[in-house]
This record gives sequence, structure tokens and C-alpha cells, in this order.
Amino acid sequence: MKRNFRFYIALWGAKIGTKLLKLLKRNASFFPGKFALSICPDFMGMIEKPKTIIAVTGTNGKTTVCNMIEDVLADNGYDFIDNKIGSNVNSGIATALISGANFKGKAKKNMAVLEIDERSAPKVYPYVTPTYLVCTNLFRDSMLRNAHAEFIANILTNNIPKETKLILNGDDLISSGIAPENERQYFGISRLDTDLEECNNIVRDIVVCPKCNGKLEYDYVRYNHIGRAHCVNCDFGSPKIDFEITKIDFENKKMVMQTQEGEEEYNLITDGIINIYNMVATISALKQLGLTAQQINNSLKKQKIVETRYSEEVVNGIRIVNHLAKGMNPIACSRVFDYIRKDKGNKAVILLLDDLHDEMSSSENITWHYDTDFEFLNDDSIKQIIAPGPRHLDTFVRLQMAEILPDKIVHIKDKMDGAEKLDLSSIDTVYILYDVYTIKLCNMVKERVIKMIKEKEEEKHEN
Amino acid sequence: MKIEILFPEFCNLYGDISNMAYLKKCLPNEEYIETAIDEEPTFITTDVDFIYLGAMTENMQEKVIKKLLPYKARIEELIEKNVVFLFTGNALEVLGKYIENEDGTKIEGLGIFDVYAKRDMMHRHNSLFTGKYEDIEIVGFKSQFTMMYGNIENEYFMEVEKGVGINPKVKYEGIKKNNFFGTYVTGPILILNPLFTKKILQLLGIEEPSIALESDVMAAYEARLEEFKKVPFEK
Repeated sequence: MKRNFRFYIALWGAKIGTKLLKLLKRNASFFPGKFALSICPDFMGMIEKPKTIIAVTGTNGKTTVCNMIEDVLADNGYDFIDNKIGSNVNSGIATALISGANFKGKAKKNMAVLEIDERSAPKVYPYVTPTYLVCTNLFRDSMLRNAHAEFIANILTNNIPKETKLILNGDDLISSGIAPENERQYFGISRLDTDLEECNNIVRDIVVCPKCNGKLEYDYVRYNHIGRAHCVNCDFGSPKIDFEITKIDFENKKMVMQTQEGEEEYNLITDGIINIYNMVATISALKQLGLTAQQINNSLKKQKIVETRYSEEVVNGIRIVNHLAKGMNPIACSRVFDYIRKDKGNKAVILLLDDLHDEMSSSENITWHYDTDFEFLNDDSIKQIIAPGPRHLDTFVRLQMAEILPDKIVHIKDKMDGAEKLDLSSIDTVYILYDVYTIKLCNMVKERVIKMIKEKEEEKHEN
Repeated sequence: MKIEILFPEFCNLYGDISNMAYLKKCLPNEEYIETAIDEEPTFITTDVDFIYLGAMTENMQEKVIKKLLPYKARIEELIEKNVVFLFTGNALEVLGKYIENEDGTKIEGLGIFDVYAKRDMMHRHNSLFTGKYEDIEIVGFKSQFTMMYGNIENEYFMEVEKGVGINPKVKYEGIKKNNFFGTYVTGPILILNPLFTKKILQLLGIEEPSIALESDVMAAYEARLEEFKKVPFEK
């Protein structure tokens, strides 16, 4: 795209503004891109981009996959730009491109790793052509912004550049079908002992064949619409997998991937199926760049899932787990609920999922509660559920709709007071589930839980 | 009592299907018929008491219209016979004259109601809603790509108290004709509105209805009603 005067004003203004903000020790992750796009709407088309762009999109897991790709690349000496500290919408992408370009608008590095919000596709892909685009999955997400998975799949299909090679989740019949004309490879995980004959989730976003309206028959269901299925009437069905995990050894923390080149062994850095998918997506993307299995594994095995998403600590024998469970995202929350019920020992769960932005100036749309499998919390091993926050009355009703007995539930308006209600007798693990915007609150609640555990221990000694 | 849930396998967006889960808790001993898209609806040959259709994707909307079009006269007959209907979200559009895309193309609906919808797929409308039906205050959420147009002055469901009607210029929300209720208010409308749920149960012939989790859903309802009065309706 031909540059004009506006482009240079936008570029120089953004760069000078960034330097000033840094001098003032202010956050410069958002401003440069927003400023540049306001001056020159086609800015991203005019600035020179790195030659190789690895982009990651999808409903769940895109941040984790980006983080893992970036860490492996950095560990192997690659130099690249990313939008890790900025946002994943168009202004965040523009910010990353500005920081990766000189004052003439020339790219300083040959590679970029970009997390791209799927809803932002119409504002990004006309200007940025990813060399490789990983789509982790597509599910029902926030209804306010994303409506439904079919809408998002259409947005991606209509906007992804034809030249982009896709790396898709072959176990997901929605995301595996995006941009059908594009070159593609699929990742997936072969049948597991825990797979089901029938879906036990509330939400299944694809139930009939998109080609002929016929019934979709599942060979097995992993969760929601993830699994392998085929149409009973036509040739539509799950694709052949190119990067397939054929064996998972949870005990020895190993997994085996089958590729065209043969079998490869990787260390498992997680025991959750969601993050195993994230690992497979990461490996599939990195292999496009020519990294060997050994290079990838040597770097991946040093990694931990980022602490802002999962962390655990044992205090006087009681494990406290902070686990991200994005509010308004039914699948993300359902997966965490499922993980908790399958975890060993007796558990108490504190739900910090209410939208704090809405609490300040609006009222949260709670319809997502009823797309979320709160039923998974109805398990004998979960002894107590605490629902503190502005939506406590709604959560109380929802938990009872899941047939959870009211005497197992504590609901309270004050977000901080929930921890005080914790009954630690017979509890092995306290799960504190939090939204992206409640990390601080989660840590404060965790401190209270730790204090309670310590006080309980002191009481024991005194008696 | 026969309660038919139409195409629950995909007419279930935004938690709408919980309306039927809640109805089952309120009326556990009744017969619930879940009709899939490749099955013949029960209401064609049998007199049912209640028909429910929830929100769906735009693609599925076309499939549902195609499926129900041959039964237009029967649906009209059942509305005239005071059968209770509840259509939520964009399910209501199926019974309108047409749905217009941004490029001007139209998808013909069943034409039972003299209304039409216009899609604007890149501008989603999200808002809070309170409205009045008879003496009942109804609360809920709107989240939609469409607005509806047409004269509904004689067959509206609710008068808007806060929020928008079938379109931002109209102070009426939804369609009510005899015992047909159609509304863009989406999600668990029966759980959020215990008084309306009781009204539905009365229309189904239960003189003194009791509802599931009554004190808890009432507490949540009253708190939400209070809260909605204090905050802006736009999301």
C-alpha cells in the first residue's frame, strides 16, 4: 500500500509519543497504535511488516499458545516482535508493528508473533497477512461481543488472506472448516480413555452438517463439540490429522506426537486437556518454521503455564489453587469446573467470576451462567462452593438449578467476605476461580485463605 | 399437559434452553417433547399445550423457517386456539414477513405477524431491559444483530420502561397475540421473571401456581429490578 503524508505523521507521532510516555514512566502499550490508526486508518497496510508472521487466534488458548511459541523461539535464539504487552485488537497489533519498525517505517526484525482477537479480523487481515495462522478452537464466547461461534467462523472465513497457511484444530468441526480455500494442516489428539459416547455439556455449537443439514454422528466426544464426527448423509466430517498426539502418559509426564516424519516424544508440562491442546497447537506452529522436535521439547519442558492463569501453593497441608476461569466465557468456565471435579481429594471452590466493570456502572448480563456447566460442580468431592460478589443471588439460583444442595453453597454480596465462610474441615484443596479482571481480588482472597489455614493450625496446637 | 420444545439441539443460544429446564422443575410431571429439525413437530397432529422456540444462529434461522413454513396455517390455528407459545430472541423473526440482510436480500418468513427484521451483523445491540406486561414488571437482557419494524400497537407484549422496544424508536417490545408471547429479551427469561412464569403457568391452566426455588428466584428478581432502575440500559 502506497504511503502518504498521514502515514509519516502517524508513525513519527506514535514513536515520539511512546518515548515521552516512557520518560514519564507511563504505559505505552496501547497509545501508539491507537494514535496512528486515528491519524491514518490504513496505517497497518503501509508500515513494513516482518517477513514471517505467526498469528494465533481462536476463542480459548490464544494467549497461552502465543506465550509458548514466543518462549520457544526466544530460547532458540530467534529475534521477533510481539504484542505480548499490548492488546490483541487492531490498535495492539499496530503498536507492535510500530515498535518493530524504524523512523522510516521499515521493519527492524524478520519475524512477528501476533495474538489476534478473532472479532478484530476485519480490521487486521486487510493489512496484515500472516504467514501462518493458528486457530486454537472456536466456541460460544461472550454473547455481547461474539454472539455465537458460527458468526465468528464466518468473520474469519471472510477476512483471512488467501495466502495464509492455516494450522487448525482438527478435533473442532467449527474452526477446522474456516477459510476452506486456504492451505492448511491439522493438529489433534487421538481417542482418550476419558472420551465420551455422548456430549454431557449444555453447549454444542455444531449439531447438524453445515453442508447438507444431516445429522452429525460422533465417533467420540471429548467436550462440547470437540471430538470426531461425521455426517450420516454426506462426506462432511472431521479431517485427517497431520500432527496427532497418539499417546499421553500422565504418570511419566510424556506424550507422543505422530507426524509425517514419524513419532516424536515431548514432555507434558500440564495435565489439563485444554493446555495439552495448547501445546499441540504450539508444536504444530513451530514445526512450520523448521524447528526440530528436540529443539522444541528442550525449550517447552522448561516452561510453566503462566502464573496469571494457574498457580498453586500448599499451606499446612492444604493446597490453594488459583485458576483462571474467564467470566462470560461458558466453555472456559465449564472446562475448569470439569477439571476441578476430576481432581483428587476433597475440594472447596470460591467463585470470583462476576464482572467487576459491570458492577461499577451497569448490571452484568448473566445469561452465560446458563450456557455454563455448573452441573460439573455437583460432585461429592466438592464439599463447599462460595459465591461472593454482586451476582451472588443469581449464582445461588444457578447452582441450585444444577441440583447442588443449598447447604453446600455460601453466597454473599461482599467479594472479600466469602473467604471467611470457608469450612476447611476435610478439605484438601481450595480452588479460587477468577476472571481476567479479578487477579488482584483473587490474590487478596488467597491471602485471607492462607491466614485462615494458619489460624486453624495455631488453634489445633493450642488445643 | 404436552410441552413441545422445537429444535432444542440448536435453538438454544444465550442460555435460552434453561427456560425449559426451569419449566421442568416447576412442572416435573408433564410431558416434554423435544423435536429435532429432522423430525415432524408434534403440534402438527396433536394438540399441545405449550410450544417453545429459543434463539438461534442466522444460518439456522433459515433452516427453521424452511421447516415451519408448511405448517403456517396450523401455527395460526393454534394461536387462535389460545395455545401458549414462548419464542425468545430472534425466534420471533421466523414468524415475521421477512428478514432483510445488509445487502438488501430478503429471507421470507412465515408471515404470521405483520413485521420484518433488518440485520446489521457488524453492529450488535446489547442492552438491559425492563418492561411492563399487564401489572408484571419484566426484566432481562437484549443481545442481537437485528431490529424489528412494523406496526405492533395492537399486539405488543410489553410496554418499555427502560431500554429499547422492537427497535429504538418504538416503546413496545415483543409480540403478544392471545397466548403467544414473542420477545427479543433473551436468556433465562422464566428464571429471571418469576411473576411472568407464574402467569404462564396460569395460562396453562394451573390456578394457584407455585414455581421452583421460589424464594431464591424472587430475591434475585427483586434485586435485579432495583439495580436496573439505577443503571443505564445501554451496555
